[in-house]
Amino acid sequence: MSMEALYPFLYAEQSDVTPLLRAVAESTADKAREIVVLRQQLAGHFADTLIACAQDMADRFAAGGRLFTFGNGGSSSDAQAVAQLFLNPATDGRALPAVSLTNDVAVLTALSNDVGFEVVFARQLAAQGSAVDIAVGLSTSGGSANVLAGFDQAARRGMLTVGFAGYEGGRMAEADTIDHLFVIPSASVHRIQEAQTTTYNVLWELTQLALR
Amino acid sequence: MTRPVRRLDRVAVESAFRRRDEAGTALAGDADQVAAACHAMAARFHRGGRLLVFGNGAAATDAAHLAVEFIHPVIVGKRALPALSLTNDAAYFSGLAAAGAFVDTFAAQVRLLARPEDIALGISGSGRCANVAAGLVAADQLGLLTVALVGDGTVGDGPDIAAIPAVAHVIRAHSSDPHIVKEVHVTVYHVLWELVHVFLEQPGLLGPAVIRS
Repeated sequence: MSMEALYPFLYAEQSDVTPLLRAVAESTADKAREIVVLRQQLAGHFADTLIACAQDMADRFAAGGRLFTFGNGGSSSDAQAVAQLFLNPATDGRALPAVSLTNDVAVLTALSNDVGFEVVFARQLAAQGSAVDIAVGLSTSGGSANVLAGFDQAARRGMLTVGFAGYEGGRMAEADTIDHLFVIPSASVHRIQEAQTTTYNVLWELTQLALR
Repeated sequence: MTRPVRRLDRVAVESAFRRRDEAGTALAGDADQVAAACHAMAARFHRGGRLLVFGNGAAATDAAHLAVEFIHPVIVGKRALPALSLTNDAAYFSGLAAAGAFVDTFAAQVRLLARPEDIALGISGSGRCANVAAGLVAADQLGLLTVALVGDGTVGDGPDIAAIPAVAHVIRAHSSDPHIVKEVHVTVYHVLWELVHVFLEQPGLLGPAVIRS
């Protein structure tokens, strides 16, 4: 039997792509609408926590505190985005001190190689953090061991601790080391990250408002 | 404490979230452009191409996010696809910038690291970052597929990226607020990643190139 008879789809004409393009476009539109609905739910769900968190963060910044952010993978790029928001506001706002704890590859690889990946954030917070500072950790699952260890260390040092998680919050929801926790109630890791992005952007805006 | 902070109310929170609705909903209207970009990107990956992604500031963090999305899929069973963020190497990036031509920071990397079958994806929230525009132009000259994620901003030092002929696929976040633009871009690149795989699962629709497992 020829290859073509065995696998006819491999030999399909380019024009056959139209139905798949249509299905993919429909899927795109569904996902766009899904995140809009999820965001609308969060406004009421997070309002009180956002207000309390922004005021606490403003207090710390007003007292000279710095922000430390951390996460793994996509959440490490979010941690960097949170630091970027405060350091270099894209709209009117005060530039505020922030450090993303995945910036320094020498420190990350030294700690991972010599001690273990679980301590990469905790050890940096132990070295740099003080009671006036703020720790923001992100984990879509809520279960990243190094993020949880980071919160333990930050809480021990008296830092203000802020967490972003998804699903049902995982171990972050059970931890007593996180002062303000935002759990995005979704089963999709992508929608969780998108809603986390909105939540930290709004948190930045409210913190700036509180400092004005 | 140097001074007391201002008290906030729920109105501020509700209005902040409400401001997101319009741009988020508008993305559904651009679904055909997103689908076309996914198809073209899948064809490049199918030919052995890699994804080079770049942006400034917050968009640099999106570039890193996009690269890890493709290299290490969060959904088990999806294959790893080659991707590289062009702000990873702070030494190289700052060296290029210090050499005098910040506008060339991405174009120089594209000329050195890219191959003709690759994809260049530039992210510019304002839609007018000069170095992102130059990176896309350099990529097009080498034969790469060019994709741009832009916003409705008017601030920037460069040309309107959406209007550059070198850019094959433009996906726009319909907002002039850079934070809202970023949020729409996050959804766009999650969808790009997910739906590129839908096309890769139908290799017969990706042209006559060698089928890779």
